Amino acid sequence: MVKFSRYALGNGLRVLIHKDESTPMAAVSLLYKVGSKDESPDKTGFAHLFEHLMFSGTPNVPDYDEPVQKAGGENNAFTNSDITNFYNIVPVENLETIFYLEADRMQSLNLNQKKLEVQQKVVVEEFKETCLNVPYGDSWHQISSLAYQKHPYQWPTIGKIPEHVEQANLNDVKAFFENYYCPNNAILVVAGNVEESEVMKLVVKWFGEIPRSPVVKRAIPVEPTQNIYRELINKNEVPSRSLNLAFHSPGRLDPDYYASDLLSDLLCNGGSSRLYRKLFKEQNVFNEIDAYISGYVDPGLLIIEGQPSDEVSLEAAEKAIWGELEQIKKEGITTTELQKLKNKIETVTIFGEMNIMNKAINLAYYEMLGDANRINEEVKNYQAVTVEDFNRVANNILIRNNCSKVVYVNARS
Amino acid sequence: MEEIKNIPIIKEISALELPEVTSEQLFNNIPVHQINMGTQEVLKLEFVFNAGRPYEDRQLSARTTLRLLKEGTQNFSSAQIAETLDFYGGNIATPFNLDAANITLYCLTRQIENLLPMLSDIILNPTFPQNELDTFIRKSKSKLKVDLERSDVVAYRTITELIFGSDHKYGYNSFADAYDNLTVDQLENHFAKNFVSGNCNIFVSGKWDSNLIAKINEQILQKMPVGKSEPILNTTIATQPKRKEIIIPNNLQASIRIGCKLFNRQHPDFKKMVIVSTILGGYFGSRLMTNIREEKGYTYNIFATIDTFRYDGLFYIGAEVAADFIEETIKEIYQEINKLQNELIADEELQMVRNYMLGNLLNMLDGPFNVAELIRTMEMDQLPRTDFELLVQTIKTISAEEIRELSGKYLVKAKMWEVIVN
Repeated sequence: MVKFSRYALGNGLRVLIHKDESTPMAAVSLLYKVGSKDESPDKTGFAHLFEHLMFSGTPNVPDYDEPVQKAGGENNAFTNSDITNFYNIVPVENLETIFYLEADRMQSLNLNQKKLEVQQKVVVEEFKETCLNVPYGDSWHQISSLAYQKHPYQWPTIGKIPEHVEQANLNDVKAFFENYYCPNNAILVVAGNVEESEVMKLVVKWFGEIPRSPVVKRAIPVEPTQNIYRELINKNEVPSRSLNLAFHSPGRLDPDYYASDLLSDLLCNGGSSRLYRKLFKEQNVFNEIDAYISGYVDPGLLIIEGQPSDEVSLEAAEKAIWGELEQIKKEGITTTELQKLKNKIETVTIFGEMNIMNKAINLAYYEMLGDANRINEEVKNYQAVTVEDFNRVANNILIRNNCSKVVYVNARS
Repeated sequence: MEEIKNIPIIKEISALELPEVTSEQLFNNIPVHQINMGTQEVLKLEFVFNAGRPYEDRQLSARTTLRLLKEGTQNFSSAQIAETLDFYGGNIATPFNLDAANITLYCLTRQIENLLPMLSDIILNPTFPQNELDTFIRKSKSKLKVDLERSDVVAYRTITELIFGSDHKYGYNSFADAYDNLTVDQLENHFAKNFVSGNCNIFVSGKWDSNLIAKINEQILQKMPVGKSEPILNTTIATQPKRKEIIIPNNLQASIRIGCKLFNRQHPDFKKMVIVSTILGGYFGSRLMTNIREEKGYTYNIFATIDTFRYDGLFYIGAEVAADFIEETIKEIYQEINKLQNELIADEELQMVRNYMLGNLLNMLDGPFNVAELIRTMEMDQLPRTDFELLVQTIKTISAEEIRELSGKYLVKAKMWEVIVN
């Protein structure tokens, strides 16, 4: 159980405080409700580039990291399709330093041409390191652009192409900051061995006077229902052939989300999961196989990806997967098997609550979803999935016309 | 009237102490270290055997033996093990470091009774089925094929091989042929020789209140074969470091690794060199990150680090950079090393590094699993418990002169191997 209190400042900043007496560290998570889904299709990668620029320094603090490090702390940030999250962990004595720093950069940033150009180069190198220069590194680009035709989930957070990052200009950057980085578009979570009233005094002191500002959001198009099997053949040379199947699946707020997550676990989470056990261990059809869901707020994807064994054709490998999927749809899941998946969720959740930073980041995320208390209801939500729910959801998702396939056909000899 | 806001004053970290750890010797003098603390009813039960590369007769047999432990035992098939673990929400990880074989069970404390008999069979009675070895080889070779196309992986493989030698226990790399030559016999031999009482150390962390330790003693330790094996270490051959360039077709970004042999944790200068390495490239505000990423934008990440093994260690710098900036990056790396060797670090920067590292240590003491990691590192590297306090004191008191002197002593350009994969 993660207990917390919730406040709202006059300027719209949402504040959550969680007391954990067992740790000497304090965690601060500051979530801004902007992600790559808020980008324009011809200027992708912008939210993530901007996350880098948030470390550019301000008129008061030339280098964000320096005072954090002096305070014995560490900080970083991540951007995904839905949110941008800045997080700090610091010995609790120095919590106020983090408030000062985060509030300071929410108000003003040193944005100039030189800083922008350096971070554009850094992000292009990140693009190469994570997507372009590793085998299959572009698979997420391929899958999302095939599965989504309207919704901005069709491009990854890093951007559609490096050129979009290179073309960002200073005016766009400044406008982005003005529009999204304001208290009424943010959620602040503080976790640690703290006194609530003390924390609130400091939060009001540092964040209270930052003016609210109107946030203009793009209308995000709804992805129409897919009704035809889609296929993309990638002819780039790769070490081994590879097969990816992507199925549209429920978004984070859909009651069927839990069953869809359990479905991906049934397929390939743990040594006893279906695809791992049968197609990797028993039948030697694949050398590698995995399944997972994207976890998007809006309707997401359930992905199955694998590298077939050398002697198995891509067609045979795909057929073997469909064989397993058809069996799940036809015979359904057993009560014991479903219980097994739920037990695993419970363990993972309890282990996750051992880490103070993790708790702060999760509280911010659930509050963004609508209510931070979901953090305490998640296990129950998974427990509530019945065999019937599970089978219905599996039958809705695992159908050919809901599937997009990306294959890499050329193995280097 | 507006309140005057003073910039918060940064406070010193007050307490940095290793929590109470119970260490006792159970059956056959097997040491069991217990970190019973925290808030969550969870358990991490870690068996660490001296059974890594220094203990193997055949290359790759140490890692393969470890990975196959949970793929079949006298009383449980691989499928039954996986099914049982998944059903009770447990997980057995078998992380391999070059010196030791770790078998780590994670579970909710209330599930331990359901999992202990199986864990016992994994540690005492693995059967190494031929088909499981075949599967392991197939998967390893497939992964190797992908890895050999990653410039970062190729660069690390190359520099460790150059520094220690291609036949050295810490230097050799895996190849498809070596996987193909693995046999069940080799694994059985490695297991019989090394998974014995004198090689075993146990670390229990989390929260428990039952007679767990007695059960571990009864179900596992009392049945463990008695014995102890000795490491066999080959010596590194002195070589003349130079630059090695490797070309990967269609590579879009170069991997640079520059490094030299250093020493293990027991060396009197080890702690101070960790500080030197941190200043140079061990955190976001490091000299290399500030210069090469934040000022020049040549890379997404550049770092300096010390990899330690029980009997040796290496220092290296790594970065993935655009091909156009390879020489410029290398020049800047040496320039930063030169600065460390010739100029005294400013008080402000040194104070920042001290605080950053102390904060990091405080974070490493947070929660039973983190404490267990610290204790395990000290125990396995045969360091006394006072070593932690010594590290804290070294961070607090190292002088600018010492940093300059040690940089000059150990970061010698003539001793650096340079690997560029492009």
